[in-house]
Amino acid sequence: MTSTSLPVTAQAAPPDVAAVPAAAEKPARSRRQTLVVVVGLLAAIAVPALTFPAFWLFLAAQVAAYAIATLGLNVLYGRTGQLSLAQATFMGAGAYTGYVLGSQGQAPLVQLLAVVAVSLVVGAVVAVPTLRLSGLRLALVTLAVGELFAWVLVHTSPLTGGSQGANVEPLVIGPLDASVPLFAYLLGLLPALLATALVLHLDRTQLGRRMLLVRDSELAARATGVPIIQTKIVSFLLASVFAGIAGWLYGGINGFVSPPDFNLFASVYLLVAVVIGGARSVLGAWVGAAYIVVLPQVFTALGIPNLYALVGGALLALVALLAPDGLVGLARSAVGRRRRTA
Amino acid sequence: MDGLTQVLAGGVTQGCLYALMLLGVLVVFQVSKVMSFAYGQVGMVAALTAWAVTTVGVPVALALVIGAAAAVLLNGAIDVVAIRRIPTDRVGLDLVVTLGLFLLIAAVMQQLVDSNSHSFPALGADTQTTVLGARISVNDAAVVALAVVVVTGAWLVLSRTSLGTNLRACAEDADIAASTGIDVRALRTGTWAVAGLLAAVVAVAVASRVAVDAFYMTSVLVKVFIAGMIGGLDRFWPPLLAAVGLGVYESLAVATFGADAGVPAVFLLIIVVLSVVPKRFVLDTSEARA
Amino acid sequence: MTTAPGISIRDLTVAYGAFRAIEELTVEVPAGRIVGVVGPNGAGKTTLLNAITGFTHVSGGSIHLDEVAVQDWTVRRRVAAGVVRGFQTVRLMERESVMTNVLVGLERTRQPFVLAQLFGLPSQPRSRRRDLDAANAVITRLGLADVVHQRVDALPFASRRLVEVARVLVSRPSVVLLDEPAAGLDQAGRHELAAVLTQVHAEDGCTMVVVEHDVDLVQRLCQHALALDSGHLISEGPPADVFATPEVQVAYFGRSLDAQA
Repeated sequence: MTSTSLPVTAQAAPPDVAAVPAAAEKPARSRRQTLVVVVGLLAAIAVPALTFPAFWLFLAAQVAAYAIATLGLNVLYGRTGQLSLAQATFMGAGAYTGYVLGSQGQAPLVQLLAVVAVSLVVGAVVAVPTLRLSGLRLALVTLAVGELFAWVLVHTSPLTGGSQGANVEPLVIGPLDASVPLFAYLLGLLPALLATALVLHLDRTQLGRRMLLVRDSELAARATGVPIIQTKIVSFLLASVFAGIAGWLYGGINGFVSPPDFNLFASVYLLVAVVIGGARSVLGAWVGAAYIVVLPQVFTALGIPNLYALVGGALLALVALLAPDGLVGLARSAVGRRRRTA
Repeated sequence: MDGLTQVLAGGVTQGCLYALMLLGVLVVFQVSKVMSFAYGQVGMVAALTAWAVTTVGVPVALALVIGAAAAVLLNGAIDVVAIRRIPTDRVGLDLVVTLGLFLLIAAVMQQLVDSNSHSFPALGADTQTTVLGARISVNDAAVVALAVVVVTGAWLVLSRTSLGTNLRACAEDADIAASTGIDVRALRTGTWAVAGLLAAVVAVAVASRVAVDAFYMTSVLVKVFIAGMIGGLDRFWPPLLAAVGLGVYESLAVATFGADAGVPAVFLLIIVVLSVVPKRFVLDTSEARA
Repeated sequence: MTTAPGISIRDLTVAYGAFRAIEELTVEVPAGRIVGVVGPNGAGKTTLLNAITGFTHVSGGSIHLDEVAVQDWTVRRRVAAGVVRGFQTVRLMERESVMTNVLVGLERTRQPFVLAQLFGLPSQPRSRRRDLDAANAVITRLGLADVVHQRVDALPFASRRLVEVARVLVSRPSVVLLDEPAAGLDQAGRHELAAVLTQVHAEDGCTMVVVEHDVDLVQRLCQHALALDSGHLISEGPPADVFATPEVQVAYFGRSLDAQA
């Protein structure tokens, strides 16, 4: 039987608050832990820049772009619990907005502003019907929006290139030209680092906590005064803006966009990536992004491209059932166990 | 032949297919409280398996039986291997797990068969006949007849037999049902198996009309879910009628706006319906009860 | 409302179709007192809490906080006014720490604008410091300081209960409503919960309504008790008196304890 007695004695005087050190929001990191994280981060950034050949640099750039999208889905699904099958749709909206404006000669800053504006609108449009929904209904609404978007793409050929897709001019921001592998890498990495910092910061805000409570118990959220609708909308908008920017970067780096890049399966793969990596962790989002970009290459090189879908489906089901915190969660508990038994 | 009647006949046929598939969704949902996103793929397995064995010389009738058997086994296996392991307190996990199975099954079939789309034997879809003054295909007539028979049969079983009573008891409260001696697990898996058969039938019927590939049943499944949500997943007749209505709606939209209008008509409807129709059932554990 | 209000319930009826969960109930909860609500299952105790907090509609009658009628207010408005509740089943963010679970309870205090929070504008770190102080205070009071960073799902049941109570209390509400807070606790746990709640009440001066089954706990904790049965008030007064009332005993035990010999 687990102990059910309370840790405070009945006759205790009110504790002297000053005597007990006030806890910070998160457990303090040891200097060694901080050092490990900083060194690891610098290495992760510098190694590709210094050692990777061109092809792998382009892949790394795409990983960074996709990481922004998976971070957005982490916020929407991992943190707020809204299972959206429209994340690739949001990417597509950003990618095509960037393409259309870019092909009209608009500067990257204008493209970015337009991408953000379009993403906000699309995100709001998808969010509104979902506000009172959960589970399958919510997923189906997002799926329906995705299908509609794909239909629009195919039926607006003159503007978007239709089902054939469209060549996108390489993104050029200042001295950074995406057709140069190293610069493509930087163009993808810098926004991705910003997005990562934003999501890490979110963890220390009341907004971030609201999202968690909305996910875990809408009833408790109501009882605590959390504005549930506002929280869900903000979550959707964050997801769509992140994905829109990710799509824009992807188009400018990859050089080509087409409807299959942003269809239902692309959304499902984004979900797979997020769940495998760990839906609640920033590191998990990066792991997921690496999975999306690198694994298809690996399987194609092995001659069994179909394995990507197969492994993805199997992993999604297995990880969801057996390791709800994803690979990162597994790693963390393994490290925790080893530390405890050491 | 009056154009409108033709359109309606086509719509009713399509709607009957939706209704048959929805029947499988309904019994599975009511007995195990799960909506399987992989259900369409189970049907696809039946059709693709049947197609594949016909290419090696197996006669069509036998191929259909083999395909149906595969679907029955697969859906039952999904319940035993995956669904049973989902803890009841994890809300929404069934969707994620069945999404994974959806991908997995499609990928496996693509590996075992191939990734191309194929045409299925017509099964009477190309033979015209006249019923009540309307010219429809034999396949269409068979579908409608089958739907009526199966749905009526299901209703009779559910309301008039002891099996039906046991099923409804399981649907109501599995724990209480188990305590009265009902083998809940066997009933559940049996329900999934029968649903597999229904998926097989529908998938084969759809296959006789469209090209078959690893994902062709996805849009059918989505529409079936919608019809279920319109009518109420805890009911019987309203959702089935909604399914037929959806088929008619789709047919009318296409007739009015052209073949391309099918997708936006249905998916716009989905968005509107899901936003507006109130939740009729509580999926999550009881909250704030007296 | 800066000092704890009294709750005045007048002719309250809560009906679900033909079923009347609460029937023309009139009762006063004096300002700043701890009142226990007792009664058998289905008596309408949780429904009463739901009605006071706005989680259920009111079919008739009124609910007042210090003469202000609140029965038409939304849940959010009542929470903002200082009416905070706990639930019969513990509802926490299982995979988050005690600190996170308690911090979220500060929602009803003034929070910076969403964009300010998101981008860490100056108002955000200021409010964060203030929130941490409040959270630490209540966490220490409830004896959870040792486990403050632990995931809630790793804690024993009693501690999880306490975390939810901490979430309720952290914003120092003027009206605290608890629904069977001692359910699942052993004898020692119940004694200590009573002590903690008494202490908090003494320091904060809030009005407390506690739905409970445990006779001993109600007698220990509450100054006043209300007994409900089938949606009606059958007795009220000091807990000892209420429990001695024959009607209450019949409702609870099926027979009057005096008529045994």
